[in-house]
Amino acid sequence: MTRVQKMLGTPLARTAAVLLGLVAVLAVLAPVIWGRRAETVDMTGILAPPSAAHWAGTDGLGRDLLARVLVATRLTLLLTLEATAIGVVAGFLLGAAPFLLGRVLGRAVTWLIGMAVAFPGILLALFFAVIFGTGAASAALALGLASAPAFARLCQTLVAGVLARDFIAAAQIGGVGRFRILFRHILPNIGAPLAVNATAGAGSILLSFAGLSFLGLGVQPPAYDWGRLMMECLQSVYVYPLASLTPGLAVVLAGLAFNLTGETIAHSLGIVTMSGLRGQSRRARAASRPGSRRAGPTGPASVRTSGASDWPVVPADVELTSQDDGAAALLSVRGLRVTFPTESGWVSPVRGVSFDIAPGEAVGLVGESGSGKSLTALAVAQLIEFPGRVAADAVRFAGAELTDGTSHRHLLGTSLAMVFQDPMTSLNPTRRVGAQLAELGRAHGGLNRRAALARAVDRLEAVRIPEPARRARQYPHEFSGGMRQRAMIGLGVMLNPRLIIADEPTTALDVTVQAQVLDLLASIRRRDGVALWLISHDVSVVAAVCDRTLVMYGGRIVEDLPTARLRTAAHPYTRALVAAVPTMTTDVTAPLATIPGRPPGPGELSGCAFAPRCPLADDRCRAEEPAVVSAGAHRVACWHVAEAVR
Amino acid sequence: MSELKFSHVTVHFGTGRRRITAVDDVSLVVPRGSILGLVGESGSGKSTLARAAVGLAPVHAGSITLDGDPVPTRGSYRPLQMVFQDPTASLDPRLTIGAAIAEVAPRGLTRAGRAAEVARLLELVHLEAGQAAAFPGQLSGGQRQRVALARALAGTPKVIIADEITSSLDVSIQGAILNLVRDLVAEIGLTLLFISHNLAVVRYMASRVAVMQGGHLVEEGPTALVMANPAHPYTRQLLAAVPGADKPKGTP
Repeated sequence: MTRVQKMLGTPLARTAAVLLGLVAVLAVLAPVIWGRRAETVDMTGILAPPSAAHWAGTDGLGRDLLARVLVATRLTLLLTLEATAIGVVAGFLLGAAPFLLGRVLGRAVTWLIGMAVAFPGILLALFFAVIFGTGAASAALALGLASAPAFARLCQTLVAGVLARDFIAAAQIGGVGRFRILFRHILPNIGAPLAVNATAGAGSILLSFAGLSFLGLGVQPPAYDWGRLMMECLQSVYVYPLASLTPGLAVVLAGLAFNLTGETIAHSLGIVTMSGLRGQSRRARAASRPGSRRAGPTGPASVRTSGASDWPVVPADVELTSQDDGAAALLSVRGLRVTFPTESGWVSPVRGVSFDIAPGEAVGLVGESGSGKSLTALAVAQLIEFPGRVAADAVRFAGAELTDGTSHRHLLGTSLAMVFQDPMTSLNPTRRVGAQLAELGRAHGGLNRRAALARAVDRLEAVRIPEPARRARQYPHEFSGGMRQRAMIGLGVMLNPRLIIADEPTTALDVTVQAQVLDLLASIRRRDGVALWLISHDVSVVAAVCDRTLVMYGGRIVEDLPTARLRTAAHPYTRALVAAVPTMTTDVTAPLATIPGRPPGPGELSGCAFAPRCPLADDRCRAEEPAVVSAGAHRVACWHVAEAVR
Repeated sequence: MSELKFSHVTVHFGTGRRRITAVDDVSLVVPRGSILGLVGESGSGKSTLARAAVGLAPVHAGSITLDGDPVPTRGSYRPLQMVFQDPTASLDPRLTIGAAIAEVAPRGLTRAGRAAEVARLLELVHLEAGQAAAFPGQLSGGQRQRVALARALAGTPKVIIADEITSSLDVSIQGAILNLVRDLVAEIGLTLLFISHNLAVVRYMASRVAVMQGGHLVEEGPTALVMANPAHPYTRQLLAAVPGADKPKGTP
């Protein structure tokens, strides 16, 4: 029910519903109520003008025009639906033909559809109408077949999209027959867009049908539809324009009803996930009004970031444990929180994260998907987009407080570099690689065109791209995956950054290329003294490069330890994580260690986030969030540290 | 138990000058009742070899046989089943998991028989029989991969091909799936072709390992032997690339 309510949320949707409802009700009731009146011949009142008795006047036999228009709704609608059904079914069969018939025949059908689409629909309709002869049934058939090519092309594209998915391959391997695959797997998955287009298509078919009847090729007397009525009224159009306008108006309204309905369904299907956010953004706007400022955090050290003006109340559940204030650190983060609006209120995927990265240090951040590790990195780099909100007690980078509300674009642009997982999406495919690097040198480095390009080539060489001068003139698609990632790192080191944030930089790469990229990051760090913050789901990747590892779970850092101590970690989660990954020395005769259960969603937390999966958990763990305890460079948030270490 | 045998298999895509040979004259035997690991980088042809075996890629030369007979790629009984990398993509979002499994189950079962078979398979992969009515979207990634496994088993296969089945799963879930697959192979007496780019995983799973590079099979042998004593330079390169593989880490 809520879905229907959501669908009807816009004025457009309500208009569509009212119009469609009106047309449907008329189609059912009009012949019953006004059927007799529409047939009553009155030879004394032929071609009468509009009057109180006949609102739209009368026709050549003195029959009431308005009643005839209303009664004609049923026939018009039925013929429209009939033609649409023929078009959709024929279109679907033609569109699915390449799948059903195999490659050679399928290709022939594809060509046929391509040619048919090139003809104007009305021309095809007239062509078919002439072949099939005049009459309502043949007109419906003609219009249905004329609209089939468009539906066929649509279906073909939709079917091809579904066919490329693995579940079709799985069904084929499982021995499921073609027709069964078509009706059980393909049809349900293309049903929604097909229904939308069929609804909108019905609107234009209605119009075309009126056209055919108007030309005398459609409905034949004594039957009548709106097109036929328009034709009959044409003789008096100069005398009583209203007479021919009435059926015309009916066509417009009904056509509009179909088109708007199609649009509404498309709208509600297309952005079904955005509707919640739109509601939230309204709420967020309301919250940012001056009067509600007090709703913000009250902690004295709290500072606003992210350019957003306000954020919801989040308990400052972080405990600062580092003895120093992070003054010596290159990056110092205190109490970082990220919140997002959802259907059921605000959730915090990052709930109070504090850590330091020293100049030149390599720090790893590991965690499962959903642990909040990527959001933490994005929040530090000020890249969380609306409607996400970032709040922190402090985020200090290279001596500047990033949370003071001013723009730090220049500092972030020059001193902070980010490397993402998929270099194909982070490089602009339409620009040469060298030019993309040079742009940064010109924008932030103050270099002129020539110097920037020279620097770009130099940087490509620094990231071990062979023939850098030639490669700089190439486009991203001419690079291999590993090469693109190296170019991305080259982009990062264009301006001598002080910190490189690499978010899953090797996940999309093969093992040997992964080793090269990790080695490259390590050597850049050694050579230029750049700090490296490596984010990965893979403990072994982090262990290969980093001095120190942060382990994240359920939006918090649960352990911060020297990488060398990973095998003797204090937190049960860290140890489970390390044990769960098979290495080249794992005992192959024993079962792998596993972590039962699943990671928590951001909304379902009380006490220690790991408690439901932890073998050591007790009532305290389930009730209270563990405080962070530290021993030297080792921090851990667990109530059972003593037992765990033993 | 059955033996899957690839003899001089060649697969290419495209025609004329743009022809690419994805698998080039590969001969390989997956011994009955055992797990053979197939490793290589993307583009090495390992997935194409698997797809050729189940009829998803054309075989231009050579043959793929099961106990000496060609692998049937038509008809309703398919003794060779495959589990895909991403369970989100390999399960129809609009079909309940029970229906997805039942679809592959042997024909000719009664309605009750099919429901019982679905329940048995779900329990086999450590899911609850009551979850048969759930849609894939209601399950976690690990649970979905279990369903994909159950569906492959529903076809009463003799050989299963597992193509990177844990690559899209979190490490905490990966272990449970790997344990499950190993148990199933031992319990049911399956023959398994296990494709992965992760050498540590292959080392744990497989008794024999085959290495592919650029469409060629470059090395094949008992896992322990190949890992300890790689003969081909490419295998050595792969082993050296495993993160943390006994080499000093990048300290300044």
